[in-house]
Amino acid sequence: MLRNRVLLPLVGVLVVAAIWQVTLVAYRLPVIVLPPPLAVVETLGELLVTASFWRDVGVSLYEFTAGYLLGGLSGIVVGMLIGESRNFRLTAAPVIESFRFVVPFAWIPLTILWFGTSYTGKILLVAYAVFFVMVVSTARSIVQVEPTLSRVGTMLGMGRLALALNVHLHAAAPAIASAARAAAAIGWIAVVAAEYIGASAGLGVMITNAASSLATATVIAGMVVIGIVGALVSVSIKWLSRAYFDYR
Amino acid sequence: MRRAILTTASTADTSRTVAPGARGLSPRALAWILGGAGMLGTIVLWSLLSHALAGGGGVISRLPGPLLVARNLAKYVTHDFARDLASSLEVFAAGWLGGVVFATFIGLLLGRVQWLGNIFLPVVEAIRPVSSIAWVPLSIVWFGFGFTSKAFLVGLAVFLVVIVYAIDGCSRIPADLARTATMLGMNGWQRFRSLVLPGTLVEVLTGARVSLMSGWGTVIVAELIAANSGLGAHLIAVQQSYDVAAVVATMICFGLSGFAMNAIFTRVENRLLPWRQVERSVISDE
Repeated sequence: MLRNRVLLPLVGVLVVAAIWQVTLVAYRLPVIVLPPPLAVVETLGELLVTASFWRDVGVSLYEFTAGYLLGGLSGIVVGMLIGESRNFRLTAAPVIESFRFVVPFAWIPLTILWFGTSYTGKILLVAYAVFFVMVVSTARSIVQVEPTLSRVGTMLGMGRLALALNVHLHAAAPAIASAARAAAAIGWIAVVAAEYIGASAGLGVMITNAASSLATATVIAGMVVIGIVGALVSVSIKWLSRAYFDYR
Repeated sequence: MRRAILTTASTADTSRTVAPGARGLSPRALAWILGGAGMLGTIVLWSLLSHALAGGGGVISRLPGPLLVARNLAKYVTHDFARDLASSLEVFAAGWLGGVVFATFIGLLLGRVQWLGNIFLPVVEAIRPVSSIAWVPLSIVWFGFGFTSKAFLVGLAVFLVVIVYAIDGCSRIPADLARTATMLGMNGWQRFRSLVLPGTLVEVLTGARVSLMSGWGTVIVAELIAANSGLGAHLIAVQQSYDVAAVVATMICFGLSGFAMNAIFTRVENRLLPWRQVERSVISDE
C-alpha cells in the first residue's frame, strides 16, 4: 500500500524531473526557454516570502470567491425553477441554451470595455462561467429525484414550495455539490484568463509579466501555484459537501 | 432521441404537478410558444436596457441595441468571417486531433501496463489541475506568437480531458469478456485489437466530444493573447477600437460555431455508437 501510494508516484516525479534536466543539458537550452527543475523550486520558495505574491493570490481568490458565490447561488435558484416548473423550463431553455455556447472567455474583451481592469468585470465573468454549469446540473439533479419521494411528500400534505425546498433540494444536494466542484475549476480558470488580458493585480498578471520579462522560472512557479490553489479549492468543496451532504 | 433522463423527467413532472399549461396544446407547440416568448422577452429587455444606457454614465457605458448588433453581424459574416473562422478552425483541428491521438496512446499505455500506470498516473493527476489556460504564457515563451503555440495549447486542453476517458475506458474492460477472449484462444495482440482497443475508443469518442468546448475555449484565449489571425484576433481588434456592437457580433459568431461543432459531433457520435445515445440537456428537451 505504502509502496504503491507513495514510493511509485515519487519515482514518477523523479523520472519526469530527470527527463527535464537531461533535455536541458542535451540540447543546451538557455534558462529563458526552460529553467532547471531546481531553479523553479528555488523561485517558488523566494515567491512565497514576498508580500506582492500573497497580494496577487489574495486578489485572484477574492475575485473567484465573490463570483463563485454570486453565480453558484443564482445558478442553483434558476436551476431549481427549471427543474420544478415545466413552463418556466420551456420559456427559459432557448435563452439559456444560446448563452451557454458563448464560452466565458469570449466575454473577456467586453467585460474590459465595460468595467475596465476593476474587480467587478472579473467577478461577473466568474459568475457567468459558474452560473450555467450550476443551472444545467441543478435542473438535472432536481428532475432525477426519486418520484417516490415526491409522492411521499404530497401524501404528507406538503405544498409545492415545501416539496421543492424540503424534499427535492435535499435529495439533489449531493449531486449539486459535486457539480459545484466542477464549476469551481471552471471559475478559477476564468479568473486567470481574465487577468491575462486586462487586470492590474492577480496571479494571471503575475505570470504574464514574468513571461514578458522572460523570467521563465517564475512563470512555471506561477503555474504550479495556480494548480495548487485550484486543487485546494476543489478539495475544500469536497470536504464541505462530505460534512453536510453525506446522507446518500 | 428523447431517452433515459427525459423519460424520468416527464414521469417525475406529471407525478408532481398536473402540467398547468397543457390546455389542449401539443407539447411541441407549447415549447415553441413559450420558448419564443422567452427569446422575445430577452430581446425586448435588451433593447430597453440599451435605450436606458444609451446616454452613458454609470458603470456600463455603452450597450448596443439588438438591431445594431444584427447589422454588425451581417457585415462581419459577409466579409471577413469565413477567413477568420477558417484560420481558427485550422488551429483547433490540428490541436484537437493531436490531443485526442496522443491522449489515446498515453491512456492505453498507462491504463494497460500496470507498473507504468502506478508510476506516471500520479504525475498526470498532478498536471491536470493546471488548466491549459495557465500554460498560455509559457507556450508563448516556447513557441512565440503563431500557429504552433495555439495548436499546442488546444492539444494540451484536449489531452487533459481525453486522457481521463482513455484510461477509464481501457482499464474498465469487463473481466468476463477478457476471460471469454482468452478461452476462445485469442493471443495478446488479438485481444488488444478486438477487445481493448474498441472499448477504449468508445470512451475516447465521448471524451473527444466533451473536450470540444474546452478546446474551443482555449482557441479563444490563445487568440486573444497571441493574436495574429482568427476569430479571437478579430475580437481583440474590434475591442481595441471600442466598437461594442462589433464585439457582441463576434461573440455571437463564437457561440454559433461552438454550437454547430457540438451538434455535428453529437450526431456523428450517435451514428457511430447507436447503442448509447447522447443525452440531450434537460433544459431543452421536447
